[in-house]
Amino acid sequence: MKYTRIAATTVAIALAASACGGDKKDGADAGKDPAQLKVWMMGDGTPEQTKFLDQVETEFRQKHPNTDVQVKYVPWPQVATTFQKAAAGGEGPDVTELGNTDVQSHIEQGNLLDITDQVAGWADAGKLNKTALENDKADGKTYALPWYGGVRGVWYRKDWFDKAGITAPKTWAELTAAAKKVQDAQKVPGIGVPTDQTNALLSFVWGAGGDIAAKQNGKWVGQFTSPQVKDAVSYYTGLITTDKVAPEKYVGKNELQGPQTDFALGKLGMYIDGSWAFAQMKKIAPKNADKWAVFPIPAKNGGNAPALAGGSDVAVWKDTKAPKAAFDYATVLNNAKNAAAWADISGFSSMRSDVRFSDPRLAVFTDIAANTKFAPISSGWGEFEQSKKVVPNMLKAIVQGKPIDDELKKADEQANTLLNP
Amino acid sequence: MLDTASAVGKAPDRGDPGPARSRRLRPGPYLLILPALAVIAVLMLWPIGQIGVMSLQKIGNRQLRGEPAEHVGLEYFRTIFADPFFWQTLRHTVLFAAVAVTLTMTVGTLIGLLLNRLGRRMANLVAGGVLVAWATPPVTAAIIFSWLFGTTGGLVNWLLDRLPDALVGGGWPDHNWFATPLSTYTVLTVCVVWQACPFVAVSVLAGLKSVPSELYEAARVDGSGPWRSFWTITVPLLKPIFMVLIVMSVIWDFKVFTQLFVMSGLANRDAFNLSLYAYSEAFGSLNPKLGMGSAIAVVLTLILLVVTAVYVRVMVRQGETA
Repeated sequence: MKYTRIAATTVAIALAASACGGDKKDGADAGKDPAQLKVWMMGDGTPEQTKFLDQVETEFRQKHPNTDVQVKYVPWPQVATTFQKAAAGGEGPDVTELGNTDVQSHIEQGNLLDITDQVAGWADAGKLNKTALENDKADGKTYALPWYGGVRGVWYRKDWFDKAGITAPKTWAELTAAAKKVQDAQKVPGIGVPTDQTNALLSFVWGAGGDIAAKQNGKWVGQFTSPQVKDAVSYYTGLITTDKVAPEKYVGKNELQGPQTDFALGKLGMYIDGSWAFAQMKKIAPKNADKWAVFPIPAKNGGNAPALAGGSDVAVWKDTKAPKAAFDYATVLNNAKNAAAWADISGFSSMRSDVRFSDPRLAVFTDIAANTKFAPISSGWGEFEQSKKVVPNMLKAIVQGKPIDDELKKADEQANTLLNP
Repeated sequence: MLDTASAVGKAPDRGDPGPARSRRLRPGPYLLILPALAVIAVLMLWPIGQIGVMSLQKIGNRQLRGEPAEHVGLEYFRTIFADPFFWQTLRHTVLFAAVAVTLTMTVGTLIGLLLNRLGRRMANLVAGGVLVAWATPPVTAAIIFSWLFGTTGGLVNWLLDRLPDALVGGGWPDHNWFATPLSTYTVLTVCVVWQACPFVAVSVLAGLKSVPSELYEAARVDGSGPWRSFWTITVPLLKPIFMVLIVMSVIWDFKVFTQLFVMSGLANRDAFNLSLYAYSEAFGSLNPKLGMGSAIAVVLTLILLVVTAVYVRVMVRQGETA
């Protein structure tokens, strides 16, 4: 806290000084080109990403030749604290990328500018994914634009499946059977089931026809004790405890703390991750890359389970001095040409209906993306998932032998309070 | 100390009030500690005061943006004390500190004794070796330990797997050290003790150098073994050093955060300690609850203030006896 307050004071003084100077020179016109546009992007900033953003900047400057674009990368683990500091200190961006599950929290905290009118005036707005755009709205107003989305599927070893004569599982029972066969034949765990991977559990819950919370009379009500959720939780944890096709070593971990490395190295039969994992795994074990393939997470009784629509949106920060230029940047970033380029670089699917993957290896993700769902659209989701980690801690407790009914009941109680902040 | 000194000095001057008053004020010492006090006030006292105020308010991102904070009184403290989860984290904090301090003192003292016995070149080598552990930043140490105890390519699991099963049991390659609180804290204890014992060792060594060797010679002549010499000569003479080291270790081990955060993280609430609990409330998500986090921090601060009071008392006592 002491840092934010000190930073806040310092920045406030600096801003006051620069604002005075700026006003006199520019005549303070909100529509006029600013000297600088601060753009925040999430992640570590790969060279490819930087090159892509340079091209976006060049295109943007054709319209705003006097504006210098400054890109800052915010690593995902530091997102929460960085935005807290931005809110406290006023040293925020003009336009920023946001994780789509965080958008509602930002709206609720008053961090984002209402861009309803600008979106209405943007010719391409109709091409945006409707479900994703719904997640960017509150009280009928729009606060962000869907940019890209990521869905997860089951990565598997094609060579091992072929050798054991298995085809891509279509039901839960087939998934367990496939994991068992791979485990017996290859002497490696059949499937990785980390407890800190809420997105995977959600697919199983939706694949059983349930949901973890439902909106009733304007309030979120936890549905963990419903038979469908119990079914999915028993199946997911049962892969570890009763079927014994998943190892206990991923308890308390996420998919990046073990499963991804193990799978890439050929020490794990299957695990659940997105299209973007391909680039990372190639760095770990390039010689295995040709043996990896993906099938959609199966629903309980056949078909594809809905996948959590992860991904990012673009929003204009409320404190910006140049809302027009900021929104223009967002539209250039997300025009058809740049959206297609970004999808190929990042491995994420575009949220524009007119843009598709050009790499055939990732084509299956386009199928998976046809059937997506969102986590409860509530500003309390941030606390439910990020700080309290209700689902991960529930799964861990059940795997370690706590009674499933008690844990589901506790999760319901937490959902009832946390999702209605 | 200052009070007694001026009281003693006052008596003879009673007949002459002028100089007595000026001597009683004596601004010199206060001016000398003023810069240090100013720094401490800005960097420590003011933030602590802020945390105290915030623990009574509802503060989220909207309030950070400048909206007035709602006053909630002692609500957060009532919530905390009624929550069994708080008592669980407190229990973890206290138990960990007790075990870690005991081990740090034991191992550190043994290393100190060893250093005292070694020849000069060997002593330098060993001292250099242990000081590397002291100099390692906690984040680095935590990452190294989570690799050592990791499941894929972890050295510890590999080694335990190589040992005969009759000795250590099987199934080590897939053993998850961070699955349960007990084993998480075992790894944490090893990591923290490894980093903390060099300081104890060097301090004990400094103390041992000041003990006249005649005492040990005399004891040996009287037939005392090393065990007895340690307890009857070393311990009483080094007692002031041990006291200070114990109190400081308690303070350090109570507020361990970095290592646990890196090794176990927010996904393992069953292994939380007080610091991690406060962090998860205040900074864990985009919906920060800075008031709640502050309230937990206040509780931790109060506990540490009690320990610090003991520390100050020990220091003052030593000042009196010295």
